[in-house]
Amino acid sequence: MADAILNVEHLNKNFGRKQVLKDVSFSVQTGHIVGLVGPNGAGKSTIMKAVLGLFNYSSGNIMIDGEPVSPTSHKAMDKVGALIEYPGIYPFLTGYQHLQLFSKESTSKDQLMDIVDKMKMDSYINRKAKTYSLGMKQKLGIALALVDRPKFVILDEPMNGLDPQANKDLRTIILDLAKQGTTFLISSHILSELEKLVDDLVVIDKGQIVYTESMANLESGGKKLLVLQTSDDTRAKEILTQNGYQLDDGDKLSIIETDSTKMADVIKLLSDNDIEIEDVQHVHSDLETSLLNLLKNDKVKES
Amino acid sequence: MITLVKQETFKLLHKKSTYAVSATLLIIMTIFGVLTRNYPKYWGDPKGMFVEMFTGINWIVLFLIAACSSIIAMEFQYGTIKELLYRKYYRGQILVSKWITMLLYSIYFFALCFVWSMLLKVVLFNDKFKLTDTFQSGYSVIETQWLGIVGSFLTIWLVLSLVLLLANIFKSTAAAISIGIIGYFALSIISNVMFLLMHRWEWLKWNPLNMMNLSQQLVSSSIHKMTLLSTPEMVIGSLVYTAIFMAISYVVFKRRSV
Repeated sequence: MADAILNVEHLNKNFGRKQVLKDVSFSVQTGHIVGLVGPNGAGKSTIMKAVLGLFNYSSGNIMIDGEPVSPTSHKAMDKVGALIEYPGIYPFLTGYQHLQLFSKESTSKDQLMDIVDKMKMDSYINRKAKTYSLGMKQKLGIALALVDRPKFVILDEPMNGLDPQANKDLRTIILDLAKQGTTFLISSHILSELEKLVDDLVVIDKGQIVYTESMANLESGGKKLLVLQTSDDTRAKEILTQNGYQLDDGDKLSIIETDSTKMADVIKLLSDNDIEIEDVQHVHSDLETSLLNLLKNDKVKES
Repeated sequence: MITLVKQETFKLLHKKSTYAVSATLLIIMTIFGVLTRNYPKYWGDPKGMFVEMFTGINWIVLFLIAACSSIIAMEFQYGTIKELLYRKYYRGQILVSKWITMLLYSIYFFALCFVWSMLLKVVLFNDKFKLTDTFQSGYSVIETQWLGIVGSFLTIWLVLSLVLLLANIFKSTAAAISIGIIGYFALSIISNVMFLLMHRWEWLKWNPLNMMNLSQQLVSSSIHKMTLLSTPEMVIGSLVYTAIFMAISYVVFKRRSV
């Protein structure tokens, strides 16, 4: 793949005797926002740390922009910005001093102020970091990852501790940068947030990749439901089944939508049978549902 | 590498404790200077006080042990180690930049201490003694002070290399600081026992604690009978031990997963 900025091939990693990564392979296309999701302890942070050259791995290959990455080979890191686990902050420095300290010499003062401005950190950027709240530290951590305008950004749980406004700001920043060609690899538990951002998804469970696909494919794989609330759900279910509609399991009356399903037909059918319709809802399965199904059905067994 | 040393210095210079420690050092030296001038009966010979830089050398050891353990351990404590390591630099460079910063810091302390002791001498003891007066073993006062500085510099770095290693292994300042301080000051407590054991088993003379007698041996003509080592042997011994501790540090740091 010529335009992949990150290529991970057959990555294996052990902590003692426990194998935490098993033959992990995936790639990240340049300019894409890729979500890395999976249950707690699945190996998300481990993958990210390996990609950043912080870990020795037993076998496999990691290439960033065509250059190999390992603890002893860090040249490619010049193009990478990252926030891993929690932001590393010196309590005795101000936010601005952190940016000065970790930014490259080629990064101008305007660029420093630009990221401060975008992250809306102006009011406290010159205060010592020991006075910062969790969310402020998180923002500083993100600012540190972005300040040098790297080609490739790795963010581990970037929404941690952010308030709704900051969350939205962060989303805007990420989408803007992605439009300008920055590639992102983002892990998050907040799937509803991730859903609004990512182009592709890498799902990991128990150290193995269980799914790599574009978001669009995952969404289209889900069921669409027409959920009804009627004066007599039991009879309505009978009538609908008799008329060839497929119903979803569960207490609620939900029709599995196909291309031929028309709401008008359903309404007419039920009202002809003297059943009053009190409420109708279209329900698309969201990322959360799709993902939970995926993880429930996945074939990865604990070894 | 210069960038990395600059970054380490930046951090050091933005810590309040850096300034507090320098100020404390000068205040303590001044207090000892004044006491020695006003109560020479209790505080001993002004020349002796000047030679050991008004107790400054002992304080430098304490401050440098604290600084060395914190320059390593704080990165683990604050979680900044990941930010340091994921950049384009090699791990070895990161560690060496910290060593260089501490080397510069130790030189700064010795320079500060020396300048201040000269100042105290001129202000408080100008009429009491001359720098060229004979002090002991045929060395003048100023020569004795300089030999003391050279000797302590080498032995302090022997201790500091151990502190840097321990901070690296334990990722915590407490363990490194306590062992460093105990190591440095234990010598005076156990030296008699050590000398006895060394006469019984001569190879024990190569133990690192014996190297800590270097600054005394430099200015005294008799102590080599106790340490069983010649001065050059001791200098080389100190340097070799420092190098060994540094090398282990380097390997530990390079292989660590963060």
